This record gives sequence, structure tokens and C-alpha cells, in this order.
Amino acid sequence: MKRVHLGWVLFMVLLAPAASGCAGEMKAGAMVSAGGTAPEPPAPPPPPPPAVAAAPGGGPLALAMNDPAKAKSVSDTPHSAAMLIYTANLSLAVFQVEPGLDAVERVAREVGGYLSSRQDNSITIRVPRDRFDDTIVRIEKLGDVTHRDIKAQDVTDEFVDIQARLKNAYSIRDRLNELLSRAAVKEALEIEKELGRVTEDIERMEGKLKLLRDQMAFSTVTVTFAPVAVEQVQDSTILAPFPWMRGLGLQSLLNVHQ
Amino acid sequence: MQRWLSPLLFLATAGLGLTGCGRPFDVKTAPGLVELDDQEPEYSYRAIAPERVVMAVRVVDTKGRGDLEFWTRATTLRMHELDGYALLGTADVKSRDGTPGHELRFGHDEGHKPYLYVLRVFVAGKRLFLVETGGPQPQMERYKGTLDWMQATLKLD
Repeated sequence: MKRVHLGWVLFMVLLAPAASGCAGEMKAGAMVSAGGTAPEPPAPPPPPPPAVAAAPGGGPLALAMNDPAKAKSVSDTPHSAAMLIYTANLSLAVFQVEPGLDAVERVAREVGGYLSSRQDNSITIRVPRDRFDDTIVRIEKLGDVTHRDIKAQDVTDEFVDIQARLKNAYSIRDRLNELLSRAAVKEALEIEKELGRVTEDIERMEGKLKLLRDQMAFSTVTVTFAPVAVEQVQDSTILAPFPWMRGLGLQSLLNVHQ
Repeated sequence: MQRWLSPLLFLATAGLGLTGCGRPFDVKTAPGLVELDDQEPEYSYRAIAPERVVMAVRVVDTKGRGDLEFWTRATTLRMHELDGYALLGTADVKSRDGTPGHELRFGHDEGHKPYLYVLRVFVAGKRLFLVETGGPQPQMERYKGTLDWMQATLKLD
């Protein structure tokens, strides 16, 4: 009795998922055959959210563009402890370029950074690493973001390698100095020549380490304001495959031919 | 009877052409602006003020493709992402005959001077109507009332 009962339970357990899986198919099949016509197609998926509307205001720094769900702060990544150099290139469409450039410069000063370079339509600033996210968010509020390129370059290997070679170079220099103090004139000339080469290597490596430290401590943000490059405008067939669209805009409108 | 009917028909046709009645829309030119002759093929209508404020209407045969949302999005992307115009705002609008449309307000620096460019998009039948106004920002603000009035007179066929 007990064996029979257990068998039924096992049978029901195995049958239940299969039956539920079939139910959907059967239901769909029934709909087709019952009416004699194809079922109504499902409602079309909603259109993708406009990227243009999402861009202004920025929100948290998004490495995955146009996907607020994937928006993630750069400094929140697991590599925070690694030796990283952050760089950002932003393109903004703004109403007035000059005030936009001024505003970016002001942001740099307010977060404890400084102006690196400034041209007619673009500006490069350096900001403290811990204010990088904040800076990007603030800059994105200055206009409509048309392009965003943010990179975190891991220089841990390079840094460690230079440190090791530098340590080695220091000990060679010390040994050469020691030899020089005991060398004869002819040998001293050779040692001095070698010492000069090693010192040059040390200075170069120290310079490189200093540069890496600076690049890690201060992130570089370059902001370019509209108008965009001519090469991109020639890409217009991708977004606007209608010839009349090329005539839109102020240039065509205000260029009056009689 | 037939002999005097032909010239009458000719005059009627010519009259329609001269008054611009051949266009699939009607728009009034406000005092302060002057309509320009023959702006084809780019524009079906274009009027200009001495201060370089311009209003124009384009009619595009879409062959029934695309709805208002499609064309609004396509033109927004075109202006915003390729030409670097800053989207200052959008609004829902209606033509005089009640056709719904969208207004896109753009700003753009031209030689470090701020310009405004306002684009209204309508779809009626198999046609797309684009109503453009533009000019230097101070002049556009000065002509705002005039341009609003002209926009309000626009009737689509």
C-alpha cells in the first residue's frame, strides 16, 4: 500500500512540470484552431527611450551609455585600489560656447583642479581623482551630451616594473660610486661614463613615476563643444537617410537666394 | 460660350498660382516680413524680416511613411547629434485646422553669436510639414509676437 502510494506521488511530481509546460502550447494551439484564424499579434514593444532626453542632466556617471540601469560610478569599481588613470572625453551641444568653456573652467577650480588647456571649442581640465565623478556629473549638466568616452587605464604593472628597475638602478649607481672611489684614473673614466648612463636612466624612470603619480592623482577631462567635426556631419546618411534633412538648420534657412 | 470659357479657366488657374493657393497649406505673412518669390525646391514658402529673421515652410512627400513621432525624433536627432544644436525645449502645438504637431526649440552658436532655431513638425495625410523659424537670438525675441501670429495662421490642407 505504502509502495503504491509513493509511486503515485513520484508519478504526479514528474508529470506536473510537463503538464504545465504543455498547457501554454495547447492554449495557443487552441486559439488558432477555435477561431479558424490567426491570433491577434502581441502588442509591439515600446519604442526605445530617447537617448537625447536621457543625456542632459547626466545622473550618475554611466560607463554604458544610454542605459541608466548600468550607470555605475567609475570609482565604485572593484579596481578602486588599483593604480588607475582616469580620462574622460565629453562632447556637448550647447547654446553658447564661450559661457560653456567658462563654466567648465569654474567647475575645475571648485573641485580643487586646474585648467590644463583651452581652445576655441574645447577645454581640458585636471581634477583630483576623488572628485572625478562629481566633475563629470556637473559638466554634463552644462549642455546636451552628444558623446561620452570615459576610460580607466590600469598602470599597476607599469608602475611596479619601473619601481623595481629603479631600485636596481639605485644599487648599480651605489656600487659604481663605490668602485669610482677606489679606481685608478683610466678605470675611473670608464666608470664615470657608466655612472652617467645609469644616472640618466634613473632620472628618466623617476620622471616617469612622477608623471604616473600625477596622472593618478589628477584625472584629465576634455570637453568639446558643438559644432561637431565635419567628418561626423558626413555621416548624416546613417541617421538621416532623407536628402531634405540635410537642408535643415540655420545655414539653409538664413541663406536667402533670389 | 466655349470661346470665352477657356480664357476664364486660364485666368482662374493663373490667379491660384499667383496667390499661392497651389500650396497644400495656407499661411499669412505678418507686417514686418516679406514673402520671397520662388523658394523651390527647398522651401514652399519663405518670408524674411530685414533683421535676418526668417520663417519658412517645407512640404515633404512621405508617401505615408512615418508618423509624427518618427519624424520628430528623426529631425531632433539630426539637429542635435549631427549638427550640434542644443535642444532648449519641446512643446505640443496645433495648426489652425487642428492638426497636432511638435515644436522643437534649438540654440546654436554661429560665429560665437547665439542663434535660435525653432522647428515645428506636422504630419497631414501623406505629407510632412516643417515650419522653420530662425535668426539671431535678440531679433528672434523681438519678433516673437509676429512669428507666433504667423504660426497661428498656418492651415494645412
